[in-house]
Amino acid sequence: MAKEPERLSAQQRSKIRRLTDPKEIAPDEEGGELNIVPFLDIITNVMMFVLATVSVTFTATIDTAPPRAGGRSSAKPDQPSLGLTVIVVQDGFSVKARGGNVAPGCQEAGAGLAIPKKNGDYDYALLGACAKRLKGLSPDFAGETSVTVSANPNIPFQAIVSTMDAVRKDESGECATDKDGVWAGVGCLFPDVNFGLAR
Amino acid sequence: MQQPPGPGAPGGPPQQPIPRAKPASMATYKRVLRKEYNRKRLEPEINFLNITAMMDMMTIILVFLLKTMSASSASMPQSNDLQMPKSIMTSEASQEGVAVLISKSHIVVDDNVVCPVPSDPTHGIEGKYKRSGPNDLYIVPLANSLQSWRERDKQVRAATGAKDLRSEAIVIADSNTPYRLLVEVLFTLGQTEFSKFHLMVLQGAKK
Repeated sequence: MAKEPERLSAQQRSKIRRLTDPKEIAPDEEGGELNIVPFLDIITNVMMFVLATVSVTFTATIDTAPPRAGGRSSAKPDQPSLGLTVIVVQDGFSVKARGGNVAPGCQEAGAGLAIPKKNGDYDYALLGACAKRLKGLSPDFAGETSVTVSANPNIPFQAIVSTMDAVRKDESGECATDKDGVWAGVGCLFPDVNFGLAR
Repeated sequence: MQQPPGPGAPGGPPQQPIPRAKPASMATYKRVLRKEYNRKRLEPEINFLNITAMMDMMTIILVFLLKTMSASSASMPQSNDLQMPKSIMTSEASQEGVAVLISKSHIVVDDNVVCPVPSDPTHGIEGKYKRSGPNDLYIVPLANSLQSWRERDKQVRAATGAKDLRSEAIVIADSNTPYRLLVEVLFTLGQTEFSKFHLMVLQGAKK
């Protein structure tokens, strides 16, 4: 005869029920972590707002030095130098090189504005081409990197900066300073800028 | 007819206690308890997200962003009063030197306003701020402010054993600043022993 299974008493059943009842986890025991999800929502919104409103601008600096007597040319005294000077006036650019004025068209010496305004705007492309042509006149000028920029008192700073950009390097754009701060690159024209004093 | 007294009734025979069921053996009890435990055990569920690692990462990114923005000139005020000129330059902006701001209304050195810019600045700063009248290029309040900066910078350079004792200046000028005013500021900088100027421009112009 099969043995009848043992039956638990009422007390035993009650105790088992009590012991195995799933307990609710108290809010302060919940993993021991702070619920920072709402905080994160706020932070994410703020960050997106900040990033959307801040306009990131990239800046650069043009290095220049006070004018020095005799210029910064490294040319020897007996070596001919170009001594390029660009004067920004109301109607265009007046260019002076080798002590003389460059005539209109930038081909020869003579009186007049070398590069007049075109359609009411300064012709920076022609100024760049003129600087390149003047530098190529003689191999003696190949190492010359300084230009003197002067202007009428009312010429805005933007025109001065664009003038410096125009004579800094040619279309190839290969011009940068090496670790010693010396300009190097086949595209360098006149990256060293000195300002002339307009009195 | 007299009713026989009920159980427990006063005067009746004493009531016999209900016999308690015999408890099961300890082995059976434990087996059932274990079985119940397993049946009622809660499935492990993720009640929270562990985002500590992500918070660390976000904090680092935030600090990095703020540091970059403050170090670069991205935080440079771009308002109607000061719009920097655009240039084709792509080199990194120099951060060394005293910052001299030339806005449409003021000249500012290191966050201190030193003198006002007239409404028509084509003739430079007003004569009363110059050393010897309106034709002079030397701006006295600007020079005074720069001289104290130069003295401090010179002492710092000497104390740190720097080979180069020359001071530098970062000139941040509005794009409409007339050449005359720019030259006055550069001249004054030169007179107060600043020998290298960095003209701040915005990248992005097309040649």
